[in-house]
Amino acid sequence: MKESEIVSVISRKLVPYILIFGLYLISYGHLSPGGGFQGGVVLASGIILLALARGTDSAQKLFPEKNLRIVEAKAFFLFLFMGIGGLVAGGYFLQNFLPLGKAGEVPSAGFIFFLNLIIGLKVSAGISLICFYLLKGE
Amino acid sequence: MIIPQIIIILLIILGILSLQFKDLLNAVISLAIFSLLSSLLFYYLHAPDVSIAEAAVGAGVATVIFIAVIGKTRRKEE
Repeated sequence: MKESEIVSVISRKLVPYILIFGLYLISYGHLSPGGGFQGGVVLASGIILLALARGTDSAQKLFPEKNLRIVEAKAFFLFLFMGIGGLVAGGYFLQNFLPLGKAGEVPSAGFIFFLNLIIGLKVSAGISLICFYLLKGE
Repeated sequence: MIIPQIIIILLIILGILSLQFKDLLNAVISLAIFSLLSSLLFYYLHAPDVSIAEAAVGAGVATVIFIAVIGKTRRKEE
């Protein structure tokens, strides 16, 4: 495939903003529309845009495939351990044991924020791994 | 509110078009427009959460996967 100057420059300027928007969706997931899955897919679409415009090799310099695989596998166990921690501390699976802040602020919902973060990382790593494997063979 | 009715009619037209196209790239592009319009429809129906998911998955990731698969197989349908 031929390299295009316009696509390369625009994607390099656009990808950081897409990644920041994905992190915003994840971190405000308990207050506004968005959450773990939506923010994770937006993060993954930023990584895929980089891989499409600059080639999978230069995208993997920034997001190495090995690290993505580790994140994708370990995030599920982290989620499970947080649930079991709630079971130990409060008596129920996924019981909240962190202090609840004032409603309406960002650190306000116990560990729902951390659960959103874990789900977002897992989804973004998984979807970008799928697209890396699909795009690599060309 | 006439906008949701217009969007629904456009969605039906785009769905039929994406079934009828023999060039699969055109079908994938019309499916991408389909999911973009349906995310607009979800936003009008007060479901911004679903709207974000539909715009990111349907118009972004699914289109990339479909186009990569077309690149690995045939482009024309027989």
